[in-house]
Amino acid sequence: MSNTEQRRSFLKVGSIAAAFALATERLHNHAHAQTPSASGDAASAADSTPDADYDGFSRFKPSRGNDPDSDYYLGKLVPGFRKPAEGPAPFEAPDVPKLPYKMDNGVKIFELVPMAVQQEFHPGVKMNVYGFNESMPGPTIEVTQGDRVRIVVTNELPEDTFVHWHGFELPVQYDGAATLTQNPIKPGQTMVFEFDIHEEGTFFYHSHVAMQEAFGQVGWFIVQPKKIFDPPVDRDFGLIFQNFHIPPTHTVSDSWAMDWNWHTINGKSGPYTTPLVCKHGERVRVRLLNFSPMQHHPIHLHGHTFWVTGHEGARIPKTAWVPRNNELVGVAQSSSFEFIANNPGDWIFHCHMIHHMMNHMVRQVGPRIRDDASVDQYLTNLRSRPPVDASHQESFATPGYPQKMQGMEMSEDFMQAIWNRKEVRGMRANYAMAVKGLMTVVRVLPEDLYDLVMHSDQQVEKGAVFAEIVRRFGDPGAYQAAPKMKM
Amino acid sequence: MKSHSEAMRSPIGRTFIPPPPVPSPPYGVQGLDPSGPLFPEERIHGGDFPAAPAPVYVDGDRVPDTFAMEAEVQGYDLSDFLTLAARNNPTIRQARLQISAQTAKALQAGLYPNPTINYIGEQIGVDVEGDKDSPGEFQGMTVRQRFVTAGKLKLSREKYMRRAHVSEHLAMAQQFRVCNDVRIHFFRALAAREKVQLRKELLKAAEDGAVTARELYNLGQATRPAVRKSSIALQRARLDVLTAENHYRESFRRLVAIVGVDLTDGLVSGDLMPEGEPISYREAVSLVLSESPELAAARAKLAADRVTVRREQVEWIPDIVAEGGAGYNFEAKETTAAAGVSIELPIFDRNQGTIRQAQLDLRRQQEEIRRTELMLQQEMANIYQQYLTALQIASEYDRVIIPEAKLAYQELLQSYKANRVDWPTVLDAQVEYFDSRLTRVQYLEQVRTNEVLIRGYLLHGGLMAAPGPTPPGHIDAVAKPR
Repeated sequence: MSNTEQRRSFLKVGSIAAAFALATERLHNHAHAQTPSASGDAASAADSTPDADYDGFSRFKPSRGNDPDSDYYLGKLVPGFRKPAEGPAPFEAPDVPKLPYKMDNGVKIFELVPMAVQQEFHPGVKMNVYGFNESMPGPTIEVTQGDRVRIVVTNELPEDTFVHWHGFELPVQYDGAATLTQNPIKPGQTMVFEFDIHEEGTFFYHSHVAMQEAFGQVGWFIVQPKKIFDPPVDRDFGLIFQNFHIPPTHTVSDSWAMDWNWHTINGKSGPYTTPLVCKHGERVRVRLLNFSPMQHHPIHLHGHTFWVTGHEGARIPKTAWVPRNNELVGVAQSSSFEFIANNPGDWIFHCHMIHHMMNHMVRQVGPRIRDDASVDQYLTNLRSRPPVDASHQESFATPGYPQKMQGMEMSEDFMQAIWNRKEVRGMRANYAMAVKGLMTVVRVLPEDLYDLVMHSDQQVEKGAVFAEIVRRFGDPGAYQAAPKMKM
Repeated sequence: MKSHSEAMRSPIGRTFIPPPPVPSPPYGVQGLDPSGPLFPEERIHGGDFPAAPAPVYVDGDRVPDTFAMEAEVQGYDLSDFLTLAARNNPTIRQARLQISAQTAKALQAGLYPNPTINYIGEQIGVDVEGDKDSPGEFQGMTVRQRFVTAGKLKLSREKYMRRAHVSEHLAMAQQFRVCNDVRIHFFRALAAREKVQLRKELLKAAEDGAVTARELYNLGQATRPAVRKSSIALQRARLDVLTAENHYRESFRRLVAIVGVDLTDGLVSGDLMPEGEPISYREAVSLVLSESPELAAARAKLAADRVTVRREQVEWIPDIVAEGGAGYNFEAKETTAAAGVSIELPIFDRNQGTIRQAQLDLRRQQEEIRRTELMLQQEMANIYQQYLTALQIASEYDRVIIPEAKLAYQELLQSYKANRVDWPTVLDAQVEYFDSRLTRVQYLEQVRTNEVLIRGYLLHGGLMAAPGPTPPGHIDAVAKPR
């Protein structure tokens, strides 16, 4: 049994404290070992690792490098642990399935079905949108540069549709640009698209009927390069950002709206978005597609500086890469963010557009900001309403109060669904209060904690992993755990 | 330039000013008790709303500042009021006295004429043999009796008995007038009471609107004029409560007046919802045409008029007046008897005119029945239309509009709870729900009052004097009723 296997089997049965103890012990023996602990003993071990330090940039701790012109400044060309011979890291779009294919005479055949779907934006909140193959966004098509593809599109919508292969330099008849290039695919009818793919990079497909696009019809079309991009990455995540307008009491998205009150990443809305979990020191790529009807997304990653290495058209030559904390992604644009995950912790990754940082922002007036008033009082007796409680706290002496959303209530079922995912194990008990709308979390975990979170059956207490990271890398004396009530 | 500099001096929109204060409530309405910084004590521009309203005095009496419904008062249901009215409404007694009066008239009309005693002294002082200046040829007493022929007295009595019968129907009509009025005013009071309750719910919503406007103001989401608008809406809602309370008092007092007793303010209790099946127009018309006491009275009056004709037809048949007696004949110096019979010769006056008049009265009464039928139908057309319209509206408010408004309100409350909709939208739905219930009460009131009229033969006016059996100008003005 390898060391890793031993550790995993232990994690499945042991206690978290024991697991940490063992994991810490392993740190000293492991090659790309984890990071320096707060004790400092491990720090020297990490620093001595050959690939831990690149011209002043450390894979394992926040650092910038010695020279902005260096290839390794901010980890620009610092490779991941993955060997190029292993091929590209698998593309992973959390919560979005991959579209399987069949081979026929060297042609990859995909079957794509435009259809109406119910997409669960929040636990139990199933919104009516259009998608493909029972998913919104549609399933990911992943191929390799040089493949020939045949995509059989069968329209299960009750109306005409078209599918456009966004960015491909293909024969015009397969472009899908509505009746400019083809006849509509009628309800129940099938149309076959077949073309060679000479491109590499980040592409997507979408309906070419405007409102169907606004109504959710998009999916990834990832083309892995024949020659793996240098430097190789360990993780290749994909996130599709979308906006919808869904009125209160409703589930149907109003694609005619000019204002947007529901925001999704891969069809989920924060805090139901699935965190991107990676190991400390890995090179991570996040491809981000903005498929909102009309709003741009300034995307911000906390705790790291990333390089913008590509857009939807193609990989950017290294000389043109830009380091940023915030990247503006326009409508129907895709950006690739690459960074070395050298700062352990749970880092929020979000659109910085204020109104996208929560769903359906409603004006904070009424019972929820009044003393001793709850909506349940009103619901209990609809025929006669309680008298208004007009007394207000002193906080109201401040013009502008309250700016923070008050009285957020998350039901037990809701919280159960949030916590019922392995990716969130050990996060702070009230993390869900922070992650809303177009927000997700990049979790950078030392390998033992990564295994604990992603592979063990261990009961992990809320906040335990975060506290352990603070213990190892932070200032545990000044740390306060989250209150656990209501969670 | 002046206005510009004034504008420059105005702090509005230039520096933060607390929201306009909530107006104090008019006299008689409980005030909102706002405490906290959103509701500044401090008055802008030297006081938006000076002083609390003074108590209202009318003729030296202070109008109570609490509504009776708030206090412990006795509740009465419909049967209480009907019982009280039956005992105390003066017009019911009036109507019964009319019957007795007609019966008395019938008694009088059938009485036989009294005999007459005459003293007769004829040719007093005539000279007779042996006696100059005799006491007279004849001195004696006679008795004269009129013998009434042709059953005149019987007919007269029958005629007035029939008029008493008319009065019985009219008394029945009067009873319906009173009971219907009690019912109508009871339902009006009941509706008024429910309206007070709903107006109070709407007031709470308006108070919430005023509070919400100030909360929005603090968030930069409502303007000062919008806050003032909420104050206007609040004050209107308060006045609506006062109006509704005054209306309830009026309804209750009107009801008590018809019942005929002195009750202080009290409560009516009951259900506005009709219990029975709706009435069809055919049913309504056939009910009033077959059972209306007014129509029955008119028909009874026709029978009385027939007797009147028969009575007048025998009037010309002469009565026989017989006279007889005894006396002393001083000429013959012996006791003699006297006798006489007189009979009027109906040569010129055979009562033709009165017979004709009575016959015309009879025909007039035939037309009167028809007129009454048509008038009832015309009135029924109007009342039934009001009844049906109100019933249709009230039913649909019950069946669809109120449940929909309630669900809209409930769904928005749930959405508010889930942070998906803001409070002003919920308040709008709340007001819509209360308001639709108010509309339902208004129409149920119309349903019940019109239903009472339809089932009660369209009779109302329980304090109008009970009418007599004969219209003005009818044959009646004779010394002895005949």
